[in-house]
Amino acid sequence: MTTVDTPAAARPRPVSATPPTGPRVRQRQRPEPFTVASYVGVIAFAVVCIVPFWMVVAGSFTAESTLSKTGYSFWPDPFSLDAYSTIFAGSRVWLSYGATIFITVVGTVIAVIATSGIAWVIARGLPLVSRPLAVFAYIPMLFTGGLVPMYILVTQVLQLRDSWFAVILPMAIAPFLVFVQVSFFRATPQEILDAARIDGAGELRIFFQVVLPLSKPVIAVIALFYAVAFWNEWFHALLFISEPAKYPLQLVLQNLITSVANAADLGTVSAAPVYQMRLAMTVITIGPILLAYPFAQRYFVKGLTLGATKG
Amino acid sequence: MSTDLGIASTSLATTGNTRSGTTPGGNRRKMRSRDYGLVVLAAPAVILLVVFAYGPMAGLVVAFQDFNVADGVFGSPWAGFENFEFFFTSGGAGRILWNTLFLNILFLAATLGAGVLLAIMLNEIRGRVTKRFFQSVIFVPYFVSPIVVSIFLQAFLAGPSGRGGLVNDLTDVFGLPSISWYTEPGPWPWILTVVKVWQMGGYMSVIFLAAITAIPEEVYEAGVIDGASRAQMALRITVPLLKPTAAILLVLGVGRIFYGDFGTIYAIVGDNGTLFSTTDVIDTYVFRALRTIGDFGTTAAIGLFQSVIGFVLVVVATLVQRRYAKETSLL
Repeated sequence: MTTVDTPAAARPRPVSATPPTGPRVRQRQRPEPFTVASYVGVIAFAVVCIVPFWMVVAGSFTAESTLSKTGYSFWPDPFSLDAYSTIFAGSRVWLSYGATIFITVVGTVIAVIATSGIAWVIARGLPLVSRPLAVFAYIPMLFTGGLVPMYILVTQVLQLRDSWFAVILPMAIAPFLVFVQVSFFRATPQEILDAARIDGAGELRIFFQVVLPLSKPVIAVIALFYAVAFWNEWFHALLFISEPAKYPLQLVLQNLITSVANAADLGTVSAAPVYQMRLAMTVITIGPILLAYPFAQRYFVKGLTLGATKG
Repeated sequence: MSTDLGIASTSLATTGNTRSGTTPGGNRRKMRSRDYGLVVLAAPAVILLVVFAYGPMAGLVVAFQDFNVADGVFGSPWAGFENFEFFFTSGGAGRILWNTLFLNILFLAATLGAGVLLAIMLNEIRGRVTKRFFQSVIFVPYFVSPIVVSIFLQAFLAGPSGRGGLVNDLTDVFGLPSISWYTEPGPWPWILTVVKVWQMGGYMSVIFLAAITAIPEEVYEAGVIDGASRAQMALRITVPLLKPTAAILLVLGVGRIFYGDFGTIYAIVGDNGTLFSTTDVIDTYVFRALRTIGDFGTTAAIGLFQSVIGFVLVVVATLVQRRYAKETSLL
């Protein structure tokens, strides 16, 4: 995957350095100004991407007295664990962690099953079925009913108010990921399928015992995309979950933004370090994603690449 | 909804039959179980899409009703186009439509531009590991929720207590006046654009870098032979060859141009009324209207208007793009 630039860079300069008695070999490697500017640009953007995370982590360990004056800090001084001890002493954080984990795990399982199933039927290329089904899955990308009908559907028709399934089900199918998976499934070697068919395997057996084991990489990709989406989901929670004991992490965090007074609910102490707690709660919320990221990152890149180049 | 499902499963069953009919040696019992298998595989997704994607589309009839909860979707009296009239004559409509369009065009242009620029710069970086490291780092912001972004932004602009904030401390250093950002609507379209670029720049660059990798090496070798500098190659070779990818992303983006990125805007602006004049978009307006006045009819009418315009835009954009580059169109 790396690039076009390696061969070009390794190539001895054909034009600019025609005299073979040129400077030493090392100097030939001297990067052009454009390359230098690119390094500077990328490094600068990377720093900008990281700094907010660092500020919040550092701030969450900084004593409330400093924090309430500056609002941020680059180094925790004076160091303090007050926020974390207050948060973890209360029960709310555990409840909301439970809610988020339930939504993420159950949601991802449902989403992966549904997405893989329809993607395989589309990828099979059956006449009269696959193409209409693809259009059927594509239309929701172009046209949606919007907020109000969804609200009426979930609260009035399905009666899912205050249920975590009100958060899970509306986002259990992402058409984009269906098509990522279709483009992967299309590459399944036909011979293997034919062999299984000759051995008398039915569609379900072929799918579960032949196709899925061959598709672990793409399953990992779509599972991770769904998991992040469910972990970060708060819009449907905001709409449908009004019972504080059922709030997922993101909703607890949102309540902390709208009013610092809500921070007091999190712990047991009355004089809670509210600003510090807001930052600590942020760290608690993004922690699992940041810890998993280094291991999962290549799958996300792979998924986007699959989707963008259509296999 | 049950009929839709029925149609889907019967058509699945028929083709299943024709297919296994062509397979020699299969007996009837096996054919049946095969049909059943495909239906089972497609069913969860079909049910979810019918209920949660197509159901709300049908529910848009509410836009033409004087909806009330007691009578429900089927019992509420019809109101014709009253709901639409109410929105367009209420005075706020022009402002909200303008904000939606303006902000989305800003976001789209800025994130696409940043994506192309970052991809080209990343492509200059030698060494697989270094490049992958930087790509990972700039991709990180994509994975945090709008709520978290909002908290980050507060640390920069206000500080938790409303005083301080990193940006104002920097302006102090240069002797510039401090700005009370959260009461000043003027700069917000640009602040939100910076936030969008921060969050989406890495994501876009991953897509564009994949497209750059797909460009054949010979093209660049020819460039080297012609004595092109790396800057010239980026500008004259890479950028033109990225156009098809950019066109696809543009079409998708144009289709979403009437949807106001509720997550980012509501998480950051929330119910801060002083900022509405530049940041209130269709989605945030609908959400507030629904929550505070509970007016289902008007809000559904706005939603329908939004969906129809969005649909027309994406169809037009797809057609335009198809004329441009036949081989790269969607579907």
